[in-house]
Amino acid sequence: MLTDPVTAAAPAPPQGNLWTDLMHGVFPDGMPWWMVAVLGAAVAFAAVMLFVTVIAMFSIWLERKVAGHIQVRLGPMRVGGWHGWAQSVADGVKLLLKEDVVVTGADRLLFKLAPALVLGTALAMFVALPFAPGLQIADVDLGVFFLISISSITTIGVIMAGWGSNNKWSVYGAMREAAQVASYEIPLGLSLMPPVIYYGSLSLRTATDMQAGWLGLHWYVFDPLHFWIAIPSFVLFFVAALAETKRAPFDLAESESELVAGFHTEYSGIRFSFFFLEEYAAMFVMSAVGAALWFGGWNFPGVTQMPEGALRDFLCVVVFTVKSMLLVFVMMWVRWTLPRIRIDQVMTLGYKYLTPLSLILVFAAAVLEYFLALAPSVLP
Amino acid sequence: MMTDLSIPTAPRKRRYWGNVWDAVKSTAIGMGITFKYLWSKSVTVQYPDEKLPTDERYRGIHYLEEDLCICCDACAKACPIDCIEMEATRHGKELEWHKFTLDYQKCMFCELCVYPCPKDCIHMGKEYALVVEDRGQLVMDLLSWKGLTEDQKVRIAEAEAKKAAKAAAQAAAQAAAKGGGAKMDAGGGGGGGGGGDSAAGASDAAETEPTH
Ligand code: SF4
Ligand code: SF4
Repeated sequence: MLTDPVTAAAPAPPQGNLWTDLMHGVFPDGMPWWMVAVLGAAVAFAAVMLFVTVIAMFSIWLERKVAGHIQVRLGPMRVGGWHGWAQSVADGVKLLLKEDVVVTGADRLLFKLAPALVLGTALAMFVALPFAPGLQIADVDLGVFFLISISSITTIGVIMAGWGSNNKWSVYGAMREAAQVASYEIPLGLSLMPPVIYYGSLSLRTATDMQAGWLGLHWYVFDPLHFWIAIPSFVLFFVAALAETKRAPFDLAESESELVAGFHTEYSGIRFSFFFLEEYAAMFVMSAVGAALWFGGWNFPGVTQMPEGALRDFLCVVVFTVKSMLLVFVMMWVRWTLPRIRIDQVMTLGYKYLTPLSLILVFAAAVLEYFLALAPSVLP
Repeated sequence: MMTDLSIPTAPRKRRYWGNVWDAVKSTAIGMGITFKYLWSKSVTVQYPDEKLPTDERYRGIHYLEEDLCICCDACAKACPIDCIEMEATRHGKELEWHKFTLDYQKCMFCELCVYPCPKDCIHMGKEYALVVEDRGQLVMDLLSWKGLTEDQKVRIAEAEAKKAAKAAAQAAAQAAAKGGGAKMDAGGGGGGGGGGDSAAGASDAAETEPTH
């Protein structure tokens, strides 16, 4: 485990694909490699799907509780007994049982493909998340870049849904989404640059490994030389991530007071639930990226020092998930604090504030890194 | 510690860093406020389990003190939209109730039916949850029992018996006044028959015609 982030070179990427290695261990030896790949993918898909569903259900329940308590209400209290914990399950079952309506005049292909595309991309994003040292489906070298690019494919699904619905509200919602994501891609990508410059790698795995120092508390935001860049860049990332995941105050794509429900106005039943799942999955992924790059990933005092093994992996998953869920909670907290802003204000914020500010931060981070590299003896 | 949240009245000069600072600061203040509310005690009640106390003078679903009511129709007449219908058979002083319905599809809870009641036996209750599965069920019967209770029956039987005895006595007196001593036997038999007849007549006379 490397502790000095600057002088040491990035650790060598693990040999081969972690998931494939894991699957080779699980399946019998004589199996042809392609069978292992296909079965491994199926297992990975099932695992991710299960994880996403559980996380989304929990987040939806949490969102309703947070919304309720911020508004001095209680939120769901009945279903399942304790504080309505089964509310999401009941809602999910209800959604599955609902009639699947395809509106007259809809572009059937786009209409039916859109939810699948949206949910598929959300699931694909989970591939690169570093849950634990032994549990990451693929250590993508371009992890950060991969996540950003995949997450913007969601927009195409949203536009397909809006266009295919034969509904003016849906089209408006889709257009807003397109404008918003196109303008927030830039600050999102740029705000991820300071940590990337700091780690010298786009891999989330490398980033996590490099934050293992100080008994597992050497997170990017705590680094004495870098915190003044880390904190503002995290704020910028968080704002851009809110816009990217269509969360309030940037939920113009589905602003229910103006556009009924925006791009998913015409959706019902299971297709609607796909959009819903995607929203919470994307929130989780964005928060997970934030947790991995700024808040140490799975590193936590006590967990980092443990000997490698299944228990450590499990605790790492817990730590990582809890950190991500805390950021998801902040997203909810923001949603119930700030009112939705106008589309022109969204554009102003994106182009006039976030983009230049993140550029400044990238510049500052680059300059800092350059001088630190020049004078390694000054390092703590 | 109070934070000054007032909006500046004079238009502020557009300052870039000032705007950034304002955005960060106002968001932080707002999030502080919502965080405080997040932990505050909820003001709502869990409705079917707990209920807010209703007002002293709340006008909810009526309740009827059935044993006091005399089926006088005053409340039904007072009702501006004719929601009340009642039906009872009188057995002398006793009432055999058939129905006393209030149509809550129409009732506007104006309380006008309450004031004219001579026995002060119809009241506005506190119950407000009117949930039924069918519109017809909104025509509610305020009676808790219909027909006659046991002690009413006993009282009626006593009254009838008394009446019958009276009529028999009368008939006997009449017969005694009309006929001579020669027809004593036949008069006795006729008196008995007459007694039975007049008892039936008395119960007929006791107003079987329903009022509404
Ligand atoms: S409350 Fe008013 S409307 Fe209702 S029954 Fe009484 S008089 Fe009629
Ligand atoms: S006015 Fe009173 S006593 Fe008369 S019928 Fe109505 S409830 Fe009965």
